[in-house]
Amino acid sequence: MNDRYGKQFFNLVYVLALKSLKVRYKNSVLGFMWSLLTPLLYLAIFTFVFSRVFPDIKNYPLYALTGLIFWNFFSSAGTQLISSVVEGSGVLKSINIPFIAYPAGYTLAQVFNLFLTFIPFAILMFFFGYSPSPALIAFPLVLILFVIFTFGLGLFICAFNVYFRDVGMLWQALTPALFYATPVAYSGGRVPEAYLWILKLNPLYHFIGAFREVLYYNTFPSLQSWALVGGMSLVMFLLGYFTFKRLEPGFISNF
Amino acid sequence: MGTKNRDIAILAKDLHVSFLIQKHGVNNMKDFIFSFGITKPFEKKEVLTGLDLTIYKGECFGVLGRNGSGKSTFLRTVAGIMCPDKGILEVNGNVAPMMALGVGFEPELSGYENIRLLGTMMGKSKKEIIASEEAIRDFSELSDADLKMQVKRYSSGMMARLAFSITVAKTPEILIVDEALAVGDIGFREKCANRITEIQNEGATIIYVSHNLNELRRICTRGCYLENGKITLVDEIEKVIELYQERTARRKNRLR
Repeated sequence: MNDRYGKQFFNLVYVLALKSLKVRYKNSVLGFMWSLLTPLLYLAIFTFVFSRVFPDIKNYPLYALTGLIFWNFFSSAGTQLISSVVEGSGVLKSINIPFIAYPAGYTLAQVFNLFLTFIPFAILMFFFGYSPSPALIAFPLVLILFVIFTFGLGLFICAFNVYFRDVGMLWQALTPALFYATPVAYSGGRVPEAYLWILKLNPLYHFIGAFREVLYYNTFPSLQSWALVGGMSLVMFLLGYFTFKRLEPGFISNF
Repeated sequence: MGTKNRDIAILAKDLHVSFLIQKHGVNNMKDFIFSFGITKPFEKKEVLTGLDLTIYKGECFGVLGRNGSGKSTFLRTVAGIMCPDKGILEVNGNVAPMMALGVGFEPELSGYENIRLLGTMMGKSKKEIIASEEAIRDFSELSDADLKMQVKRYSSGMMARLAFSITVAKTPEILIVDEALAVGDIGFREKCANRITEIQNEGATIIYVSHNLNELRRICTRGCYLENGKITLVDEIEKVIELYQERTARRKNRLR
């Protein structure tokens, strides 16, 4: 019984993810190519604007790219996750399905999308002179932790967004600020020591750092950064999950 | 009526269900953040205030009441979407809700894709969905080409056909019909009514909410009248309809 319920839940999440992807690409000729456009445009702009500004960063395009891929995932997954329950309200108030299936499905869709974009990005990385190293083994683990972190954060904000739609607006307004507070286009090393601690309060600083360790510096992240990244995803997931569960009973009154 | 020794499908005893309503409007986010809980800026408003009702297996039960009397809230509680605050609610059997027209459909996707989407949401497995596809196509009388088309290009009648067909493709144990039959052309409406009778003959319980008195008379045997979140009458459908008419008439007089 319980097993059947679990299987049903995962099937539901999968179908919702598929739906989200299909809807996104159904009416556009270029389909998923569009999801490449934004990061590529950013990459071009950064390379054009910043590669002279940061001469100390070797191979700037590769540096920017290894940050951009994951920032792009974070921002689009965040936006989708936060509005997921409100978007599904029509269904959620008529059929008895767990609310959490919606944010979970949308996150899964974004993960699929990330995998799809990996193919052209990998080609681009090789083009910029990336050569794989044993450190690549650590990549899936960093990615899993990052997805868990994003999911937890999304659940947290999503739950509040059902009660107050301003939360979603606020998030949209804050996203660009968060982008500049994350060393995607620049390196943390350029930031004066006195202000570095502010950057380090940003969890994304550490996640992007870990991705760079693996994909740009070709080294395994240190034990300390594993602990930090792992701890943050665990805490964020638990916080998001329990907040969601706690606020869930009132969702239906706010649709 | 011989309802004494029958199995019970739904049993509600002193059922209380409430909604959260915002106390001072939406701009209260500041208070909300500082209080950190759902208690402060929101107030509970009881919609069902001590509802007692027994519905037996295999019967077709009509629910009547004015708008806002708590019909939909009761049905949502039966479907497990809303949780009771107090009281007992026993539901024996899986519930298939008949949704309002087009709810759950993804307009960008084709009919077939929507069959899979809605079927999954209703808790069917992939195998069951594939098995039901043919039955859905036959019942809805939509052609293969229709089902391959995006749902956003459907007429409202076609959408109603598809929605109804997906819900009733497999005989559920408890079927909730919430004013969903007032759509489609006469031929399809009759077909729906026949299918409901068929479902009932197969032993399912049907809860039927409608303001269409003729339909209620034709389909239901028993019914209840809901007023301010309580049941005021449970009786044969004719008596319940009488009460409903009397109440609406009295209201009309008062307004005059």
